[in-house]
Amino acid sequence: MLITAIESMGLLCSRHQEYNQADSEENAQTAEIERRIEQETKAEKHIQKLLLLGAGESGKSTIFKQIKLLFQTGFDEAELKSYIPVVYANVYQTIKTLYDGSKELAQNEADSLKYVISAETKDVAEKLSSIGGRLDYPHLSKELAQEIETLWKDAAIQETYSRGNEFQVPDCAHYFMENLSRLSDTNYVPTKEDVLFARVRTTGVVEIQFSPVGENKKSGEVYRLFDVGGQRNERRKWIHLFEGVSAVIFCAAISEYDQTLFEDENKNRMMETRELFEWVLKQPCFEVCQLHVKTSFMLFLNKFDIFEKKVLNVPLNACEWFKDYQPVSTGKQEIEHAYEFVKKKFEELYFQCTAPDRVDRVFKIYRTTALDQKLVKKTFKLVDETLRRRNLFEAGLL
Amino acid sequence: MPMYQPSSRGRDGFEVSGGGQVLDLETAVKDGILGGGGGVVHSCATGEKFDLKKMIEELDSIEIPSVFICPISLEPMQDPVTLCTGQTYERSNILKWFSLGHFTCPTTMQELWDDSITPNSTLYQLIYSWFTQKYLAMKKRSEDVQGRALELLETLKKVKGQARVQALKELRQVVSAHDSAKKTVVDNGGVALLSSLLGPFTTHAVGSEAIGILVNLDFSSDAKTNLRQPAKVSLMVDILNEGSIDTKINCTKLIEILIDGEDFESEIVSSLSLLVGVLRLVKDKRHPNGVLAGLRLLKMICSHESVRNSVVSIGAVPQLVELLPTLNPECLELALYVLEALCTLPEGGLALKNCPSAIPAIVKLLMKVSESCTHFALSILWAVCKLAPEECAALAVDAGLAAKLLLVIQSGCNPVLKQRSAELLKLCSLNYTATLFISKCKLTRTIQ
Repeated sequence: MLITAIESMGLLCSRHQEYNQADSEENAQTAEIERRIEQETKAEKHIQKLLLLGAGESGKSTIFKQIKLLFQTGFDEAELKSYIPVVYANVYQTIKTLYDGSKELAQNEADSLKYVISAETKDVAEKLSSIGGRLDYPHLSKELAQEIETLWKDAAIQETYSRGNEFQVPDCAHYFMENLSRLSDTNYVPTKEDVLFARVRTTGVVEIQFSPVGENKKSGEVYRLFDVGGQRNERRKWIHLFEGVSAVIFCAAISEYDQTLFEDENKNRMMETRELFEWVLKQPCFEVCQLHVKTSFMLFLNKFDIFEKKVLNVPLNACEWFKDYQPVSTGKQEIEHAYEFVKKKFEELYFQCTAPDRVDRVFKIYRTTALDQKLVKKTFKLVDETLRRRNLFEAGLL
Repeated sequence: MPMYQPSSRGRDGFEVSGGGQVLDLETAVKDGILGGGGGVVHSCATGEKFDLKKMIEELDSIEIPSVFICPISLEPMQDPVTLCTGQTYERSNILKWFSLGHFTCPTTMQELWDDSITPNSTLYQLIYSWFTQKYLAMKKRSEDVQGRALELLETLKKVKGQARVQALKELRQVVSAHDSAKKTVVDNGGVALLSSLLGPFTTHAVGSEAIGILVNLDFSSDAKTNLRQPAKVSLMVDILNEGSIDTKINCTKLIEILIDGEDFESEIVSSLSLLVGVLRLVKDKRHPNGVLAGLRLLKMICSHESVRNSVVSIGAVPQLVELLPTLNPECLELALYVLEALCTLPEGGLALKNCPSAIPAIVKLLMKVSESCTHFALSILWAVCKLAPEECAALAVDAGLAAKLLLVIQSGCNPVLKQRSAELLKLCSLNYTATLFISKCKLTRTIQ
């Protein structure tokens, strides 16, 4: 009986062993997975999250493209070619907007003759307008390009263009109109500059990961940059991105103080930007991110190139927020003065919206022209320096 | 009578009789047998004659070989003479000794058998030669400093990036250590050069070093105007907000220099980022130098009326009030000046009133630190009591104001102060009956 007992014990034991073997294999696998998760989480912790925010057409995507050009491999031929439809779309949309605008002005303005295009061009204009209203656009042939150029050069269209702020004329209008013959070449491949100017409304979220390599080529910080759509209907998607952000790069196009929104023609764009800035600042989730460091705020006052041309001709008080502006001089001095005024307004708004205990958060204002690659590079170098210093400071090393 | 002890200064001692190694002047000086610090530069015959007295004066901090020292005055000898005992003294000193009626050798105490004093030309040559060499070395070193500064300025015109930062770091060290370098930099367009490095794209590393140098230099009013450009000032403000404590202090001082004087637009200082940054510096108790520098700038800023509102809006009033107990007298005076300036605005007065600890803290400071402090404290209390008499006067009186005011009135302070105190006392007493008020004053005798 003892033997039976021992035998069955043996059996029991060996069965246990079988189970243990299966278990331990599973355990090993689980352990391996857990280890990998831990590793990746650690690695993730070192990646700094940057968020590009701002109203529609403030230049976020242009900055995004610039970073791609500067710190990644840029655009290969396939990617460049993928922008051809976008460029063509911009061309057709622009000329349609201008023509429709001229018709509206011809109807409503006292000196309506200014806005009536010449008889010869009228048919072509109507044709182009209907093309521009379609959902998909034809390839830009040499003839079409010629016709568009003729229309563009029409005095009425030029007059309408000078009042472009009253319509939704995109900022790239002039650039593409002046390059029509090149754009209509049979073997046209968009240049980097074309890609930077090309305007398409971002929808959803796009991200890239990059590392700005320092001048001594040591490994720098790793950043992950997120670009979002700026229009109102896109903003509800922003909130999902707000956690664990190292820095918010808020883009404000300072040239649009006399323009209205694409999604709401009754709302001044600058006022919209102001409200949006306020809203972003008050978000509680920017309080803490990695390493218990408060999210830094970088304000890019963008489109300075357009601003400096506009501000001497169109007074800043066109925007209600700037209604107390007094010009002091002319030329370059005046441009600087106007810029400082706008900058100060944003600064005041920032401090109004920031609780006293959050005042330690890094807040810096940069003057940018997103289309200028050199400037963007210099600007980003400063942003990178600031973020690195902040991390060292928080780690107690500074 | 000081007994001359051969000091242990000269490392090798000076044994000529026994060892007999001193063969010639050059060797003696070159090989450092005379001690008194190494690095004697072998000079070629310069033909230039220096005045020994002048050289001794300019080299006053240097260690002089013991054998050159007169035993009577303990000063280096300019006209050494030897007595019959073989001891050498400075001529004027030994003659004075004799004129007092002594006819002995001061160190050996021997009676002199011979009254002749022999000029010790050998020793004189040695002294002269040694001082000349030291003097030339010193001149060369200080010229070197200036030369180095010039070199660095030239380098800065050409290099960028890390090299630029290094050059600036070195220039900063040279300039802070040597006044002659400062002059060289200023005389050779250094200020304009450094100014040109400051702009919207200047990195923190470059900016903080350049500012660190500029703050040591004197500049012309043109240079000041140049530095007051909004983009440059913006940079200084950014660096002030982000830098180490030393950098913060440098930026603060530089801004102070720039806004000194009436001929500028207050727009520069109305930047909220600047005000927030300065206030942060003032609150940092770990660095008293920073607190002082910050308060000085804040005072200067607040002397401009148009900016005071901004200062109040960033919450300066309660933050300064909280600091008052921790400040030394110099800082206290500055802080009270600022608070007084801010209370000239209704918003400022309101902020002070809403700060519960403010009035007691300020009452406490009356007649405690200095007349200026009392003056400012009084003005503040006056402003705030006028604003909200019932509330504030009550609080103040509870904090012992009345007794303090009486103290002022009875003291030797200037009449204006006394007048003010009397008025304030009257204002405060309006809400009380005479008896109640007197009891609040903790007085034993009646007052009118």
